[in-house]
Amino acid sequence: MSELRFTLRRMRKSPLSIVGIIIVVFFTAIAILAPVLAPPVDIRDPYSIFHDGYGPTPRPPGSPVLDTFIRSTGWAVHYFGTAEGQLDIYYGCIWGTRTAFRIGVLVVAISLMIGILAGCISGYYGGVIDEILMRFTDVILAFPGLILAMALVIALPPLWPIDLGFIGLALAAFFAPVLVSNFYFKLRGIWAFMLGLSTLAILAILYVWVLGTPPIYVLSLDLTSLDKVLIALALVGWPGYTRVIRGEILRVRQEDYIEASRGVGCSDFRIITRHLLPNTIYPVVIMASLDIGSVVLLAAALSFLGIGAPLGYSDWGQMISFARNWIWTGFENPWQYWYTFITPGLFIFIFVLGWNLLGDAFRDILDPTLRRK
Amino acid sequence: MGLAEFMVRRIILLIPTLIGVILLIFAVTQLFTPEQRATLYITSEKQMKEIDSIIRQYHLKETIFVQFAGWFSQLLQGNLGYSKTGNGPVLSVMLRKLPATIELVLFSIPITIFLGIYLGVRAAVNRDRAVDHVTRTISIIGWSLPTFWLGIMLIAIFFSGLGWFPPERMGTQAFNYIYLSGNWHHYTGLLTIDGLLNGQPWISLDVLKHMVLPTITLVTIQIALIVRVTRSSMLEALGKSYITTAKSKGLSNKEVINKHARRNALIPTMTVAGLLTAGLLTGVTITETVFNIDGVGRWAAVAAGGGGTVPDVPAILGFSLFAGIVYIVANLVVDILYAYVDPRIRLG
Repeated sequence: MSELRFTLRRMRKSPLSIVGIIIVVFFTAIAILAPVLAPPVDIRDPYSIFHDGYGPTPRPPGSPVLDTFIRSTGWAVHYFGTAEGQLDIYYGCIWGTRTAFRIGVLVVAISLMIGILAGCISGYYGGVIDEILMRFTDVILAFPGLILAMALVIALPPLWPIDLGFIGLALAAFFAPVLVSNFYFKLRGIWAFMLGLSTLAILAILYVWVLGTPPIYVLSLDLTSLDKVLIALALVGWPGYTRVIRGEILRVRQEDYIEASRGVGCSDFRIITRHLLPNTIYPVVIMASLDIGSVVLLAAALSFLGIGAPLGYSDWGQMISFARNWIWTGFENPWQYWYTFITPGLFIFIFVLGWNLLGDAFRDILDPTLRRK
Repeated sequence: MGLAEFMVRRIILLIPTLIGVILLIFAVTQLFTPEQRATLYITSEKQMKEIDSIIRQYHLKETIFVQFAGWFSQLLQGNLGYSKTGNGPVLSVMLRKLPATIELVLFSIPITIFLGIYLGVRAAVNRDRAVDHVTRTISIIGWSLPTFWLGIMLIAIFFSGLGWFPPERMGTQAFNYIYLSGNWHHYTGLLTIDGLLNGQPWISLDVLKHMVLPTITLVTIQIALIVRVTRSSMLEALGKSYITTAKSKGLSNKEVINKHARRNALIPTMTVAGLLTAGLLTGVTITETVFNIDGVGRWAAVAAGGGGTVPDVPAILGFSLFAGIVYIVANLVVDILYAYVDPRIRLG
């Protein structure tokens, strides 16, 4: 409680963080009110920006809507003008807010989950398994985020058939750490059960991958290009969180109350979930949620490069890539099509700025070396 | 532990990461179809038509271990495949396009570091005063700006509007002289230096003028990192007892800051230089695309299907491998410098 009051007091002292809060609240409101602010023309597919014809030249803000069907749904003017292909910029910006939140929240949540799981295993068990996991995070961190994400987005197939071999691999990725830790720690109840499972998983891999048996498909996932971006960004993002969680767990693991709960006979699972995590994850979760801004920035960059959201989807980065042919219009009339890139760009910039302002304030508040001075 | 021993130890520690990077790239290749994977083994355009025989030759439909052996032996021979978008083998295309990127990076790194350190120190010394707030606001704004949008806005203002600094790498006149006149010798590949070596300083000037906007873009998005780290490590250093000692000895404020606090505060700043490299590799990809500079970054972006074509798989994987290795080497250099400057690291 005193922690909360301290945080609030520090935040009041920093005007920038207040601006950050206002911006984030503003965008949250836009995202929630999107169907009111910009009623979808096609109810079944609200994320697709509506076309007002297919003419190539953008039209300025305030131009009337020409398509009679779209007029009948209540749209009279293009508030922010139209982009290449007569896509309505206002509609794209409003619904793009939802896309941004969806990408940001989902990517951070998924990578945080992977990060917490791997960080707990790594920090609590230590030894070989810690070494392996840390080297693995080294490898992923050795790539600049955008570039690895680019490679992954391209590599992920649109239709992802999941065969037995892949499931075996996924199971092994989860249970192999437990298997290794069982060699180093005593075997008990659920862990013995998991040892059995992981042996099964390894057998499955041997069966399908090494012997080269034809794959047995279990199910196939339909990946839209936005799903690919989500997966790629989550896979790129987790190692950072793993590192932090591991460090925190290493710090807390030495405390007396952990020793005590071990002495009482708590299982590893109980110690991790009841004693270690509650004492370690809050700062990490807060910091991670403030990463939403940078995740959205990365996703926008992918969209700008043409490998993000599908064509015509409400997505800020993509809307700027539509503007690329309309930036240079000769010296006589330099900013003829300013609305095609300034408006969506401002949306991205202010959205990210809001999260970063909040993040900056919290970084100071949570930094133990700078506190209470 | 001496410095030499530290270096050897650090380089040995690098091997598992390097193996991991190679394995990860290989794992990514496994997500492609055998036909797409076959392009990784091709060295000329002619072979593009013989994909089926290549699939058979390199056992691309066999088990993962057989495939890895084949791929890795090609990698060791420097064969990374044929890039459709670059019209040549990946390695030679990369070497051809690298100088433009290096030139851009060479201009932006020193500006980022020195300006960043200067601003960070100023902000820390004047903590919670106007200078601090302004510096932090500017650096947060830079951190939040989408690279591509900043580039577009700079072009719109300083090229379309004011006509001061053009995009692309050089003007038509310079292009004609370099590629069509036949009098041009490629000494370093860096046009600013080659211009002087060829006795054509106007080319250097032209290239410099074209470099202004991309450099501003890269500096603006990178500088926040340096400012933030310098500021917080400077704040930490200013709170140490040796600062109190220095002050109580009667040293002037300037001397305390320059000789005692700043030197110690710069050590943590060095460690983020590795992160700076990662940011630059990312930034260069987008900056070169926006400003239409023919470097490795734009090539990677085009290869990824920026033009709406089929992705150029060998180019993307080659560039990822290159980026991974650059980043690892940069971190190695930073670590060694770090140990050199701060003996506690290698002794501890």
